Amino acid sequence: MSGTFNIMFCGVGGQGLMLLSSILGKAAVDAGLEVMTGEQHGLSQRQGSIYVHFRIGEPISPLIAYGKADMMIAMEASETLRYIEYLKDGGVVIMSNRIMPSVSETEKVALDKTGKTKYLTIEQIVDKLKMVTDNIVLLDSLELALQAGNAKTENSVLVGAALACPDFPIPTEKVREAVLALVPEKTIDANSRAFDLGLEAGGTCLGT
Amino acid sequence: MTVEDVMRTDHGPALMLSNEAVVRGALESDVKVVSFYPGSPVSEILDTFGEVLDHFGDYKMEIAANEKVALETVAGASMAGVRSFTSMKSVGMNVASDSMFSMGYTGLNAGCVCLIADDPFAHSSQSEQDGRYFGEVAYVPMIEPSNAQEAHDMVRWAFEVSERHKTLVIMRTTTRVNHSRGMVKLGDLKRTPFERKSWADVKGQYFTVGSVARALKAKLLEKKAALQKEFEKTKFNFIDEGKGTTGVITAGVCYLHTKEAMRNLEAELPVLKIGTLFPLPEEKIADFLKRLDKVIIVEELTPYLETRITAIAKEANPTIEIIGKKSGHFSEMLEYNVPIVEKVLSDVTGSEISLDYDAILTRAEELAEVLSNRVPIFCPGCPHRGTLWAFRQALNRLKIRDKIVFNNDIGCYSMAFLPPNEFSDSMLAMGASLGLSAGMNLVLEDKVIAMVGDSTLYHAALPGIVNLIHHNSNVTLFVLDNSVTAMTGQQFNPNSEFNAGGHPARKINMEKFFEALGAAKIAIIDPYETRDCIQPIIDAIQIEGLSVIISKRDCALYGDRLKKRLGEKIVPSENVKDTCRSIYACVKEFYCPAILVDEDDRKMKIQQDLCDGCLECRQVCPVDAPRHIER
Repeated sequence: MSGTFNIMFCGVGGQGLMLLSSILGKAAVDAGLEVMTGEQHGLSQRQGSIYVHFRIGEPISPLIAYGKADMMIAMEASETLRYIEYLKDGGVVIMSNRIMPSVSETEKVALDKTGKTKYLTIEQIVDKLKMVTDNIVLLDSLELALQAGNAKTENSVLVGAALACPDFPIPTEKVREAVLALVPEKTIDANSRAFDLGLEAGGTCLGT
Repeated sequence: MTVEDVMRTDHGPALMLSNEAVVRGALESDVKVVSFYPGSPVSEILDTFGEVLDHFGDYKMEIAANEKVALETVAGASMAGVRSFTSMKSVGMNVASDSMFSMGYTGLNAGCVCLIADDPFAHSSQSEQDGRYFGEVAYVPMIEPSNAQEAHDMVRWAFEVSERHKTLVIMRTTTRVNHSRGMVKLGDLKRTPFERKSWADVKGQYFTVGSVARALKAKLLEKKAALQKEFEKTKFNFIDEGKGTTGVITAGVCYLHTKEAMRNLEAELPVLKIGTLFPLPEEKIADFLKRLDKVIIVEELTPYLETRITAIAKEANPTIEIIGKKSGHFSEMLEYNVPIVEKVLSDVTGSEISLDYDAILTRAEELAEVLSNRVPIFCPGCPHRGTLWAFRQALNRLKIRDKIVFNNDIGCYSMAFLPPNEFSDSMLAMGASLGLSAGMNLVLEDKVIAMVGDSTLYHAALPGIVNLIHHNSNVTLFVLDNSVTAMTGQQFNPNSEFNAGGHPARKINMEKFFEALGAAKIAIIDPYETRDCIQPIIDAIQIEGLSVIISKRDCALYGDRLKKRLGEKIVPSENVKDTCRSIYACVKEFYCPAILVDEDDRKMKIQQDLCDGCLECRQVCPVDAPRHIER
């Protein structure tokens, strides 16, 4: 590959974002590519907003500059908007349709006795994303994970979908090998199926 | 996962977190004693050393009660003749510095390296403290890497410098470097067996006062001159050649931002990258300044380099234009990134910026307006949520919610300053709640409350507690006993039965020591029996003297891990909709992230994949609607 391929991972603490970034890191290194990351480890609490700047090719800084991420992989849908400044115009968004509302949002919904205050919807999020890109792969990652036989394989679904992107710089088989090497042994079959389901779903969305 | 990379016997390259590269560099240097108190962004150093402890089996490791003890432990090991290493967060050095200043004078023996990690942006710290001054003020050499490879290489070099000059060496990093992953070429991993030494064979004198101190100070100045001479020549201070008479001086992660910004601008400025913050390579800097008309200084936080370079320029090149913080180009606040540096370089050189970053940020701000803030929050199953709820009920029943002062301390429970608790009177530093309480108790007519976790209790709270009891102060102290140092990743502490690597250790019995100290009352509560906590809290608050409420329950994340190890399942809870009357106590008074409102029937709904099954929400619910699901 020439140049640098930038991926912005985002999600919520506890979703396994660091494992996802480790998987792609291993795959890239095994494929002989240079990798650099800038990670938000945060503190140990669950449910905080977290991210990883993941850079393949010729990165110098650990941080992606605004507007220069080729791809965003979001394990939680609303987090795509929290980091949208990093995505380039027309960049690819691979996102789960799972929304984990913050407690303050839940409180607003609960306390509005008229019932008019609603949670943010996936349609609202996608409408906003469309101001930046049309290349959006929206996945029911939990449903696909359940189809694969294990609810905890959502990450593999998302990784698989990312591979459907034509300029993705790491070869598909290297990524599959890395997924299977790093997930718990008992879940290897389910993760392999989840990866394929993601790949297929991603291809359908991106028309590849 | 890269903890395996730390153990590899080949030469890589390995993709490593800088924190892991530091561990690898120390192991390649045959480090024999390591000791740490955890803190973000360096906790992974402790964790990694702990994970590979049994694999190597040839070094000793302790999780110390605080950073000062950790630094003294590794200094003691150095005096005893073996290489040693510690790391701490920025403010950790404030605690450790008392001994560190004396170590500057006495010097050490075997290689001894201390990493301190500053936190621009205060991601996980109480301030954006700039720790670069510690080196100069203590006459201790300080170096700074910019990426994982340099972190690895510099640790190895630091051990050599330390041994050559018989001094502690401080390696300074920032969060962005600690939590960056990069490719690392590994060195040889030649370990030797651990062997005890005899003091007669290794002994030196590490004693400083009065006339001894004055004699040591004179020698220290010679040591500084020798270090400076060596640092003029080190490869870690280097120049990337370029064109023209505008140059850049930078260090740490800013070097990387600068190089990428230059690539974006297609600019070829000469860059002097500083690897030794103290002593600075003053001659190298002077020579660099002499070739320039204009120098751009790129550094986060205070103008540490800028001030010193300005002084060097006074002799070397008095007419040079200095672009930095004083010129208004860069801020003393927050972290830098490529766009921040690129904008200044573009301004100064006239090259066109590669992208309209401001327009992108403006659009992003508009797009994100629909989001509500994801404020930090206690995890599902967290015992602190129940303790704080019960405390609020106790205050309501006593009708003293506005007649107390609440001195908080450092830990997950610091989040008590956020809704729904909003106890935000004070929070300064580890253990500070006790000293502040002493002063407030002397002056205020209000009830004084302090809160510490178990790790903070043993870290820096003990002198404050002794002081309160000794002076018969009227204070109620909450001790949140969750078995581990939760916030930094559930490391063990003196309240645990384990030490590093899961090796057995003696758990300190806190009830007994509070008893021995003469606390006026010790109440033990279980926050999962949330309602039953209210009366003991009411009783403790009303007692004269220091009353102690120990709230005992494992950190939920740690408890889940223990359950997993024992093969126990976590049984999540559900809300029984027929019972629920949409009172929303579980929402507005509890703030559990597993709890949602079902928009169809406006009743509470539990996200079962997030729920920890603690059932604290049932205790908070006036009609007991939540219950464990049946399987």
